[in-house]
Amino acid sequence: MKPALRFVLWFGIALLGTVALATIALHRGEQINALWLVTAAICTFALGYRFYSKFIATKVLLLDPQRATPAERLENGRDFLPTNKWVVFGHHFAAIAGPGPLVGPVLAAQFGYLPGTLWILVGAVFGGCVQDFVILLFSVRRDGKSLTEIAKDEIGRVGGLVAYGSVISILIILLAVCALIVVNALKQSPWGTFTVGMTIPIALLMGVYLRRLRPGRVLETSALGFVLVLAAIWGGQWASQNPAIAAHFTLTAPQLAIAIIVYGFAASALPVWLLLAPRDYLSTFVKLGTIALLTLGIVIMHPTLHMPPLTRFIDGTGPVFAGKLFPFAFITIACGAISGFHSLISSGTTPKLIRRETEIRMVGYGAMLAESLVAIMATVAACVLEPGTYFAINSPAGIVGQLPEAATRTITGWGFPVFADGMQALARSVGEQTLFNRTGGAPAFAVGMAHIFSNSLGGQAVMALWYHFALMFEALFILTVLDAGTRVGRFMIQDALGHLWKPLGKTSSYPSILATSVLIVAAWGYFLWQGVRDPLGGINLLWPLFGIANQLLATVALCVATTILIKMHRAKYALVTLAPLVWLVTVTFTASWHKIFDPSVRIGFLAQARQLAMAGGNARLIFSNRLDAVVTAVLVVMVALILIESARQWLGILAGNRDAKVQESPFVVTRLTEERA
Amino acid sequence: MSFLRTLRAMLREIFDESAYERFCAREGLGPCRESYARFLSEAGWHKERKVRCC
Repeated sequence: MKPALRFVLWFGIALLGTVALATIALHRGEQINALWLVTAAICTFALGYRFYSKFIATKVLLLDPQRATPAERLENGRDFLPTNKWVVFGHHFAAIAGPGPLVGPVLAAQFGYLPGTLWILVGAVFGGCVQDFVILLFSVRRDGKSLTEIAKDEIGRVGGLVAYGSVISILIILLAVCALIVVNALKQSPWGTFTVGMTIPIALLMGVYLRRLRPGRVLETSALGFVLVLAAIWGGQWASQNPAIAAHFTLTAPQLAIAIIVYGFAASALPVWLLLAPRDYLSTFVKLGTIALLTLGIVIMHPTLHMPPLTRFIDGTGPVFAGKLFPFAFITIACGAISGFHSLISSGTTPKLIRRETEIRMVGYGAMLAESLVAIMATVAACVLEPGTYFAINSPAGIVGQLPEAATRTITGWGFPVFADGMQALARSVGEQTLFNRTGGAPAFAVGMAHIFSNSLGGQAVMALWYHFALMFEALFILTVLDAGTRVGRFMIQDALGHLWKPLGKTSSYPSILATSVLIVAAWGYFLWQGVRDPLGGINLLWPLFGIANQLLATVALCVATTILIKMHRAKYALVTLAPLVWLVTVTFTASWHKIFDPSVRIGFLAQARQLAMAGGNARLIFSNRLDAVVTAVLVVMVALILIESARQWLGILAGNRDAKVQESPFVVTRLTEERA
Repeated sequence: MSFLRTLRAMLREIFDESAYERFCAREGLGPCRESYARFLSEAGWHKERKVRCC
């Protein structure tokens, strides 16, 4: 393309993006179309990719097309394999996209659509994408080493220990919060429980089919599993209408929590081919299809957003979770803007598939942009709902009251009109008994998605099917995260215990498998139980804790990245990772301080424990609050340690007192020909 | 056509079909229950340690 034409094209994109951003930011008192959000996102992401990521690739990281990657040097046809960049992109995107970018933006919509949207756009372009990009490159230059190994090599023993501690902590809290979302979505819902419950025998059946009948035909088996899941959604409607069967699937939150804890233990101990692998395939199949469908649905339907740009709850009194816009909006939306968890994927399977260094830009930076676009779709799904309906679904009974009349009165009093009859009709139209107090984000997202889909395909008559499809879609990949996370957590504990006593480290020893499975399931099960028993719905308690842990892991990743940049003599460009690092430290440390010490009982763990103690409340609840305060404090202290250690390294190198030696693999010239590449 | 070929390759890689094909080629085996069972025991080690993001 000629330079003049290229200039006109990018100038046009910049202009369109500016108009879209101005529209979503400056409109007050009138509703806007969802396409403005999508346009703003696409233009911002296109500009970010074209200019900022190119700047990082060519000026900061100096990607070298002549340098052989570990996929080439260590090619073994198994985990190390030079792979087409688009294939790696799809592989990486499938691994990083989970329930986070769907749930976080739905919860943050209590502040209005504007804060979440702006944070997703800015956070992704300058934070999340940069983190994924640089960690992927640094792992590629270290033979695909993991974040904890890189931290140990580059920052020292403290770095390695803190990274390990952060990973295991975030894993436990993540699994608990994921399980809580499923519990809150399925409680008292025979249709949903039946459908999601049926995915377990379907996955087992797929495992047997794949191993015995059609070995290796994974795509065919996944398509078959998908058809069976659709049949299960249909069957769920029948089950919910049959009182004798419905009674077996109408479960309370504690019953569901116990069922998920038992399931988590079984999934961790069963052979991988029987449950984990087929469920993973099924979840990926549904995920890729549904995300594409949702994007198409929003573009074709271009629905109107009913949520205002800002709500009164930016003052911290929100019913979905308590806390002011700053810092809580920025820890509520993690995946979608910046997620520390991604650094584990970027230093996991992906670096072993990269064919050329120059392709890392598209995989690392590009895949994160795609995930951020999913987060924008989730924002749209939440904001197409009438605000009154959104708050009725997402507010816990402890805030708005147990009865529909009390809840609607409270929510209408906040300035968001909602009626008990209307909510009852909506619940009936999606095949539920009630939609009040369904905290966790998943049901609100499902209602929004069903609203968008039913307007384009099938009308109101199939709203219930779309709702349960959306619910199944979310629950399916939440349970996949639960399966995989429990197993990974088990291995991490086995590896650690193996240093203390060798037999415990044997990953094939059944007593060791059982003991460590009990440990990891007990750890996240404890937090899940705490969330289920929480009178405020649990999400208010666990989601901020998860957000803090996830962002603290991102802090660790950015500390590692900044240290390596300085060691590479790229200190003049260190702001690329230092700026998001400073922002995250400010956000997470402020949020942690509030969660521990804030005098409001809805925010501060210690304040709630104090109030419960004064009122002679439940001793276990008091202990749980104190424990949460300790967990948050430990996380902050760990990250402060790695920050101090990193800063010592930076200052030492810049002052010339320390050796600026990076621990990269030696440079080898690539032998991949242009044709093969 | 090129787009469809890439999409197919992407899906086959994500769903481990290509990995199984490579395994068969490397070990000189045909697609059958036994080879798939061997592939699963080799690939399972990697699969069960693979984190899935939130």
